[in-house]
Amino acid sequence: MPTFKLDGNAIPFEAGDTIIKAAWREGIEIPHYCWHPGLSAPANCRMCLVEVIPSAPQKPVMLDILAWDDVAHEYRTQQKPKLVPACRTAAAEGLVVLSDKSEQVRKARRDVQEFLLLNHPVDCPICDQAGECKLQDYWLEHGQFRKRMRDEPIHKPKGVEFGTTIVYDAERCVMCTRCIRFMAEIAKDPVLDMRERGNLNEIVVAPGRRLDGHYTFMTEYVCPVGALTTKDFRFKARVWFLRSAPVVCQGCATGCNAYIDFDPRENKAYRYRPRDNAKVNDFWMCDEGMLSYVFAHRERLLQARVGDQHVSTTEAIEHVRTFFAGVPGSRIAVVLSAEHSLEDNWALHELGTNLLGVDRVFYAAHPDGYSDDILIHRDKNPNLRGVHSVAPGAKPVEALLGDVASGQITHVISLGSSATLGVDQVAKATWLSLAAHTGTLPRMATVVLPVTSWAEHSGTYVNARGLRQVSEKALAPQGDSQAAWQALISVAKALGHEASWHSLKAVRAKVLGIGPLLDDSTLTVSSPSSVE
Amino acid sequence: MSQMVLERLRERFGAAILETHSDFGDDTAIVDPSAWREIATYLCNDPALEFNLPVDLCGVDYPDSWNGPSSTARTGRMEVVLHLYSIGKRHRIRMKTRVGGEAMEGAELDSLTDVWPGLNWLEREVFDMSGVTFRGHPDLRRILMYPEFEGHPLQRTYPAGKTQPLVPYRTEASAGMPIDKLEPFGEFEGMPFGRRPDPTAAGVG
Amino acid sequence: MEPLDLSHENGELELPSEPMHLNMGPSHPAMHGTVRIVLELSGEIITKSDVQIGYLHRGFEKMCERGTWAQVFPYVDRLNYVSPMLNNVGYALAVEKLCGLSVPDRCQWYRMILGELARISDHLTCTGAMAMELGAFTPFLWFVKAREMVWDILEEETGARLTHSFGRIGGMAFPPSRDLRALCSSALPRILEIVEEGEKMLLKNRIFLDRLEGVGPISGADAVSLGWTGPCLRASGIDYDIRKAHPYLKYDEIDFEVPIGTSGDTLDRFLVRLGEIRQSKRIIEQSLERMPSDGPICCDDPRVVLPSKDDVYTTIEATIQHFKLIMEGAKVPKGEVYSYTEAGNGELGFYLVSDGTGTPYRVRVRPPCFQVVGGLSRLIDGRLLSDIVPTFGSLNMIGGECDH
Repeated sequence: MPTFKLDGNAIPFEAGDTIIKAAWREGIEIPHYCWHPGLSAPANCRMCLVEVIPSAPQKPVMLDILAWDDVAHEYRTQQKPKLVPACRTAAAEGLVVLSDKSEQVRKARRDVQEFLLLNHPVDCPICDQAGECKLQDYWLEHGQFRKRMRDEPIHKPKGVEFGTTIVYDAERCVMCTRCIRFMAEIAKDPVLDMRERGNLNEIVVAPGRRLDGHYTFMTEYVCPVGALTTKDFRFKARVWFLRSAPVVCQGCATGCNAYIDFDPRENKAYRYRPRDNAKVNDFWMCDEGMLSYVFAHRERLLQARVGDQHVSTTEAIEHVRTFFAGVPGSRIAVVLSAEHSLEDNWALHELGTNLLGVDRVFYAAHPDGYSDDILIHRDKNPNLRGVHSVAPGAKPVEALLGDVASGQITHVISLGSSATLGVDQVAKATWLSLAAHTGTLPRMATVVLPVTSWAEHSGTYVNARGLRQVSEKALAPQGDSQAAWQALISVAKALGHEASWHSLKAVRAKVLGIGPLLDDSTLTVSSPSSVE
Repeated sequence: MSQMVLERLRERFGAAILETHSDFGDDTAIVDPSAWREIATYLCNDPALEFNLPVDLCGVDYPDSWNGPSSTARTGRMEVVLHLYSIGKRHRIRMKTRVGGEAMEGAELDSLTDVWPGLNWLEREVFDMSGVTFRGHPDLRRILMYPEFEGHPLQRTYPAGKTQPLVPYRTEASAGMPIDKLEPFGEFEGMPFGRRPDPTAAGVG
Repeated sequence: MEPLDLSHENGELELPSEPMHLNMGPSHPAMHGTVRIVLELSGEIITKSDVQIGYLHRGFEKMCERGTWAQVFPYVDRLNYVSPMLNNVGYALAVEKLCGLSVPDRCQWYRMILGELARISDHLTCTGAMAMELGAFTPFLWFVKAREMVWDILEEETGARLTHSFGRIGGMAFPPSRDLRALCSSALPRILEIVEEGEKMLLKNRIFLDRLEGVGPISGADAVSLGWTGPCLRASGIDYDIRKAHPYLKYDEIDFEVPIGTSGDTLDRFLVRLGEIRQSKRIIEQSLERMPSDGPICCDDPRVVLPSKDDVYTTIEATIQHFKLIMEGAKVPKGEVYSYTEAGNGELGFYLVSDGTGTPYRVRVRPPCFQVVGGLSRLIDGRLLSDIVPTFGSLNMIGGECDH
């Protein structure tokens, strides 16, 4: 692996890497605003300037500057090395780069930071970016200066609505152009551009257009300051009260990696942030996915129900026992869910086929929807491939209707909440539904047991390309809900069987062997909707 | 400050002294727990050293990956720190050692109460707060917490918001009226701080 | 009335021989703060005693791990709550040692002045309470009157009589007020007068001297091995005062003496404290002379010191500085340090461990009276029950500090 030296440390790099990217891969941060590992590098912020000492016989480029000599009270000519932006300088074997170790670089960072803060509004108390703002962090690390300008800072439009989702504040903007480049390069819709020059610079939406499309939330995400904010998250929470957990987005079969930010004091989720994964979503997420965190709380089933009555979970399990007592396995159907994790589906499948002797397994899923060639998959279920791996012969739940109508199936145990079914069609069966959200399946059920949503338990999901991903637990289970695989232990007991799984570890060990899944290493970053 | 003390320790005990440093002007010797008593007795009795004042004894818990301010990695979770002073010679030393496994198993040290009687209560406090037992201590019981208390509060794994009331808190049922407040001393009541830096908080770029 | 049965011999009368257990409970007028002493008595002689502390344990050290470095100041105030300024100064010096900061001269003199005022207040409380517990209410009220004068000065300077939270990392919260010199020069002589009146009342009183002299003695070597420091140690004849042995702030630039006792009994501990009040007055007077009347009170490091509010409201840089210092805390460099000062009861030490973030990793307070009260058993065993009151009073146990 070729290496170059950064502050005396050898940094390996891949062909085509710039200094800043190679350092970023190693976890070393060279301060920057406009560079982003997923976008092009315009080198307009000048924060990543480093000193590159070329290998002999080349000599470094020196600039003539005037330096004030306090002792002699006059300007003297001095030479200083020309600094280069690390985001546009290719890493080369044997290159010697000084970043923190060079006095000139430290001065340059301080000065760049001073210029950026010159006209910056005093918005920290009301700005959503406070606590995760690069201006704040870099001022402390690289600046610590006072304001030297005595003039009034320039005033620009604030609170400009760019579209239905994003609000722009021109005074806070540092003109890094990340939002412009994101829309142009990744979202393939160059609707943002910069207007005016110098002091009067601001970002505008193309005339006649709004900032719309499916990736507008990413403009807020790439913005290093509080210039772009989402209407969804504005003024809702302060980031230092939020904790994060790594989850998998449940919106579609791409399975974008995300962080869910939640306030543990209220046990409430506030937003998603994308998590990088070169094999799945690179650095991005779509708007629908970004907004899907609300389903941790929206339309939730939090209490067990028998008929129309809300009961405690133990009472509901009692009813399950009476309803299912003595029913032979041939008359029970099991409905898996493509919205639930491998652990939940495996537990229900195990209960059905091995313990109860069920031979008819079905699955329920969201119908297909919009797709594009950037991130959004037409399959709106996070785990359809997983369900097919757990039960390869499972039929779509519509096929269940015929069996119920003919009387072959009189009892159903289902997981999940949505399916394209009419209520009246299956009114004849006794139905136990384990669901997290209200929907078709729990609505027609006789007994409903509340289960945790993806955010409240740790679960494995298989995306459209066969990659198995674990989504960790973030919130504490709300109401009476518990993980579905856990609820099924009590259900199994009520039906007179002993579950073979009693802990997350045990269930996970069982689902580990489920294939066929692609090997991690063969997956590359490319359009996700290529399989099936 | 007084390199002489550290040199003599290194000379005499060799391998039992794992590391010495004088960061921030404080002479520190990190020792092997099995040599704890021997080194302490030497420090007290040797006429050139004469550490007669037992200043302080405390426990510092390092359960996570951060191994503490010393440069080399150490095994053992609970660090027991002893500060000594010599009234006659006016020099100080800090003696540290690490005991205890991940779940504080094997966290035992020899008691030094017969070397310096003043360590009697300090060792009781380290036992009470940090969970280190001292072999040979005449009366090792809790000193600051009540005897029914379970756990050792200053261990970092002990949740700061946990309460163990001897008389249980009122519930709405027993009060007969709604009680509209957060659980007393709940872990998150008002406090945004107190967490280790969150590596996931920054996001990309 | 029955006649005496003169046929019995003396030795045949059965007297009860089990020891009596007496509980000087945590709620007791003479148990400073709250301390429980479980006594085993044989008549009035104490055969065994078990001193139980911890009733005021508030989890100070655990709480410090949940805030920032600057948020520890209100907590340290409440350690030795009769001389909070000394705790503030001690903690500020500890963090500054870890950060490698040195505060301006003006601040150092100011810290000395406020610290010595706090020490006067501490000693007045201790000696006054000792006298009151022995039945002498009048000197106690006189000393409390003197203490009120000290607290008036502190209220003028810091805004609070007792829990000031006035220290800051890198300086103090505010510069000295204009009236500091005038207030001190009018109050201090009056305080000394009151102390002298109290001494005249007490030290010529046969009963008072009998209850204190020769009671609860301890030798210097024993006190040292018990970990005693401060007035209790000095009363036993050991000359160890941190202000002289390892001077900090500007203590090496002024003249003062350290009162040393001889026999280490309760009377000596009482007298040492009164002597220290006089020396504190000398220190304050010299410091007031030497303190510059203008200049910054905090050092100029933007990583620890808050900016002025004018700047915070008008410039973004100061807002960011304020934000970072308050929300994330001053980022103290990684390392561990033990810093010690002479507080009212002896060597108040802070052992700080920093992991480089704005939250302390560990704040350990070495409370001087924890060690001192640890020796209480030794002092009272074998003595009369009534000796507990003056002995314990002379140790000046402050519950907040002992139980932290």
